[in-house]
Amino acid sequence: MSGIIEVDNLTFGYTSETVILKDMCFSVRPGTFVAIAGPNGAGKSTLLNLMCRALTPNSGTIRIDTAAIESYNTKALASKVAVVRQELVPAFGFSVMETILMARTPYYGSTGFETRHDREIANDALEATDTARFAYRPLTSLSSGERQRVFIARALAQNSPIMLLDEPTSFLDLKHQVGIYDLLKTAQVEKGKTIVAVTHDINLATQYCDEILLLGADGGYHIGKTKAVLSAEKVKEIFDVNVFAGEIGPEKFFVPLGKFANDKRKMNKESGNI
Amino acid sequence: MEQLLTAKRLILRIGLALAVLAAVMFVCSLVGTETVSLKAVLTGPGTQAAPNPDYEIFIRIRLPRIILAGLVGAALACAGVVFQVLLRNPLADPYILGISSGAGLGAIIAVISGFNWTLWGRSPIAVFAFAGALGTVWLVWFIGRLTGKFHVTGLLLAGVVVNAFFSALMMFLTSIAKSDQVYATIFWLMGNMREGDFLVLWIAAGCVGGGIVALFYIGPQLNALSFGADDARSMGVNVARTRTIAFGIAAAITAVAVSLSGLIGFVGLVVPHGVRLVFGPDHRQLLPMSGIAGAIFLVIADTLARIIVAPAQLPVGVVTAIVGGPFFLIILVKYSRKVSWLK
Repeated sequence: MSGIIEVDNLTFGYTSETVILKDMCFSVRPGTFVAIAGPNGAGKSTLLNLMCRALTPNSGTIRIDTAAIESYNTKALASKVAVVRQELVPAFGFSVMETILMARTPYYGSTGFETRHDREIANDALEATDTARFAYRPLTSLSSGERQRVFIARALAQNSPIMLLDEPTSFLDLKHQVGIYDLLKTAQVEKGKTIVAVTHDINLATQYCDEILLLGADGGYHIGKTKAVLSAEKVKEIFDVNVFAGEIGPEKFFVPLGKFANDKRKMNKESGNI
Repeated sequence: MEQLLTAKRLILRIGLALAVLAAVMFVCSLVGTETVSLKAVLTGPGTQAAPNPDYEIFIRIRLPRIILAGLVGAALACAGVVFQVLLRNPLADPYILGISSGAGLGAIIAVISGFNWTLWGRSPIAVFAFAGALGTVWLVWFIGRLTGKFHVTGLLLAGVVVNAFFSALMMFLTSIAKSDQVYATIFWLMGNMREGDFLVLWIAAGCVGGGIVALFYIGPQLNALSFGADDARSMGVNVARTRTIAFGIAAAITAVAVSLSGLIGFVGLVVPHGVRLVFGPDHRQLLPMSGIAGAIFLVIADTLARIIVAPAQLPVGVVTAIVGGPFFLIILVKYSRKVSWLK
């Protein structure tokens, strides 16, 4: 097993009584796009925070590129793992370019200024994320979708092999959701990045992600090829909701069925329940 | 590329700002109750029997006072910048974590005890105020750490409570003090520039100048910290080290400023905001420019304090608030149309 991220017997709880992640073992191969999905409170963001050392596990180990995560210093870890958190609001009005250049902070050296090399990296990130046209606007004047692209650009400018994202599309409309996933997929395919994204959208995950880690509320989990793991039964088990699973061509999709869903009423009527 | 901060552009701007500061200091040194002739000053100190009054006033009274005002203004403005970014709170100023009440308590203890010794030419008030200021910051920092790993809310609450507690102690001591002691304390609390001797000024200048240069070098890290500790860390910034350095330096230069001039409000809150509105939030530029702007601001305010009700003098803290308030509002209205993050 040669994963770029290897998680071994990982256990974590915010207090000793409530353990939310228990004995997890999995490995992420280099260059794969992995989704982490599951109900609220299952520990998706927690797992992401453990993988970037914002949290320390109660027991078990996490290895990044074969070395234990604790063995890295801050700068070395940042050269391996970049993180895009949810809806960041900076305290002051930095511009897009200034924000992206911050990814280069550890490399500034004694002058306190970025080198031409740092600027080239930042410019590449601007191009890759289609943010160059508002490079000198303040971050706060952008829409959520634009801002999310800027933070992805900043993560790209860290030049790390691994990118972790916490619900990168949660506040975005359909077009911007797809746009962000296209962007991530491009980074995976063209730059060989390993991407791990927490998401609520299992439909986007089936389209874009190679593998999925489904975290259950009870600490159980499933990991594997996205299309193999996701089935109507698995989704019902993990999310505790009925779904309609369909296929159109090669795409698989899931529609949650609530009490008033049309299908459900129809199905119930046919079986004579209403 | 047009709008990015480069080393060349920064040096140019700092140079220009320093030139403005020098010009302001020069003009202010000529203004006052006594008209001083520059020509007469240049003739030298005169003899023991017939001292040159122009020289005496200019070199021994005006110059040290103007240098002191510049130093205190620079220290308070830079400390304000640092506290605003560390606490990620635009309302933060150098006194937010209780430095003011700690220094005030130290000062009033010195006054009430009736100490009359001097240390390096400073009265015990200054020494006690310095110790009180640093002691309070350490206490707040320590309590803040007990509430968790640098929890901003914990730190702020600890600051507020320690501030309230020490203020109450101060009021208690004031109410049992004799009336002349009370007057001395109140005058100190309002903040004012007294003429120090040059040795003290050079030591203070070394502390403040060195502190600002050191802060400049952690400017990029402070920029990253504007996005919060987790984010800065995942960009590879050593957050604990940056915070400790920034916090230590800001507390130290504030304590120096407070012990030299008492409590001068407003500079540390308003100058950083004004400079940020005009020049943007990059700390590599914000710190030196705030330092210079703070110095200019306080030199002018102190000159006004000397001349408005001459031959009497106003406490400079009164002037900073009266002049600084409207001035800041003008900047706020003028520039916030361009700066969307204020809305």
